[in-house]
Amino acid sequence: MRPLGDLEREVMNRLWDADGPLSVRDVLELMDSHDLAYTTVMTVLDRLSRKDLVTRTRQGRAFLYSPAHGRDALTSELMNAALDSAGADRTAALVHFTENVSPQEAAAMREALERIAAKDNDAA
Amino acid sequence: MTPFLLGLIGLCLAYPAPQLLGHASWPYQAPRAAILLWQSLAVAAILATLGAGLATALWLVTAGNLTTIKVLAHFAVLLLTAVVAVRLAWSLVTVARETRKRRHRQRTVVDLLATRDGAAPGLRILEEQTPVAFCLPDRAHARVILTRGALECLGADELTAVLEHEHAHVHRRHDLVLEGSIILHRAFPRVRSTDSALRQSQILVELLADDAAHKATGATPLARALVTLSAGPIPQGSLGAGNATALRLARLESSAGEHCGMAALAYALAATVLIGPTLGLAVPWIIGAWRILNPS
Repeated sequence: MRPLGDLEREVMNRLWDADGPLSVRDVLELMDSHDLAYTTVMTVLDRLSRKDLVTRTRQGRAFLYSPAHGRDALTSELMNAALDSAGADRTAALVHFTENVSPQEAAAMREALERIAAKDNDAA
Repeated sequence: MTPFLLGLIGLCLAYPAPQLLGHASWPYQAPRAAILLWQSLAVAAILATLGAGLATALWLVTAGNLTTIKVLAHFAVLLLTAVVAVRLAWSLVTVARETRKRRHRQRTVVDLLATRDGAAPGLRILEEQTPVAFCLPDRAHARVILTRGALECLGADELTAVLEHEHAHVHRRHDLVLEGSIILHRAFPRVRSTDSALRQSQILVELLADDAAHKATGATPLARALVTLSAGPIPQGSLGAGNATALRLARLESSAGEHCGMAALAYALAATVLIGPTLGLAVPWIIGAWRILNPS
């Protein structure tokens, strides 16, 4: 049994790489492993649509699925959140390693780094 | 006397005390103790304010003769006290809900886009060239995320320093410290001290995480990682946030760990502001109030 998260990843990738909306059957055929059950893929797609990551349209008796956001759009959503150190995201949802600084500050910081490295060298 | 004293203490704890602490530099020498002191100040200020409200309300209807004005004032004070309590509770609920929701969304996106890396459990690599490192703290499903760009420009020691730093954030739940400050700030945004509490808490948790990384790798790799990862693009609107990174480097340069004297002072202050008003004023007042309300 593969973790559900990995399956969601693969299904999303198939949808992103596809030219248009896919049915459950289409996705199942594109998956790497061939021993997946139809219902498993359906469950994964259902979960993804509940998370607002895929949209579902009815065509005849079947549903067709397509990504709600492009891969690039999701990436930039994440990068914006990660780079926004003091702006809109005033929650502690995400904690940065460091914030970005102006070139002047960066120069001063590089000098501090040299001094730290020199001190560490002396000590060694 | 109790209502007046409690009110005075509440005011002092809500305004001059946080202003003084917010502009002081000694808290940076004892980050752990300083975080505890900020939290004690917040709790003590809230307790004193609520206590002052209740004590005033009771005093208005029990001391001397009842007059219409005193009864009206009684309800006005009770209402004000309730507003403070409700604002806090509301802020707690909304901030907690927003944070969980945003973090859950970001984790979902991370899990879809980023690849696992064998180097550490919970580590995810995002295929992006901009060097960035961050974490999504959580009790059970925390993620540490590095972009491909960050991975490529960090040496092995520097990577260890970054991971140790992020794991310290994750394992010691630094986000909860920040969330507490955010709740207070959201509840009382116009009380300026809630802003200094938030800003200083943000820096203090970074210092704590730096200490963990410093212990693991020494000063130079951490300093180098800080310089490397802060050289990226500056997003709009984040200027003027104050440069915590320079402060972190300065601390690495002076290689000062936790200053024992400062820490002891901060712990003592924290205990005083919490226990002092409670034992000295609140407990006697509660006993008195109980007697008044249950005359038998």
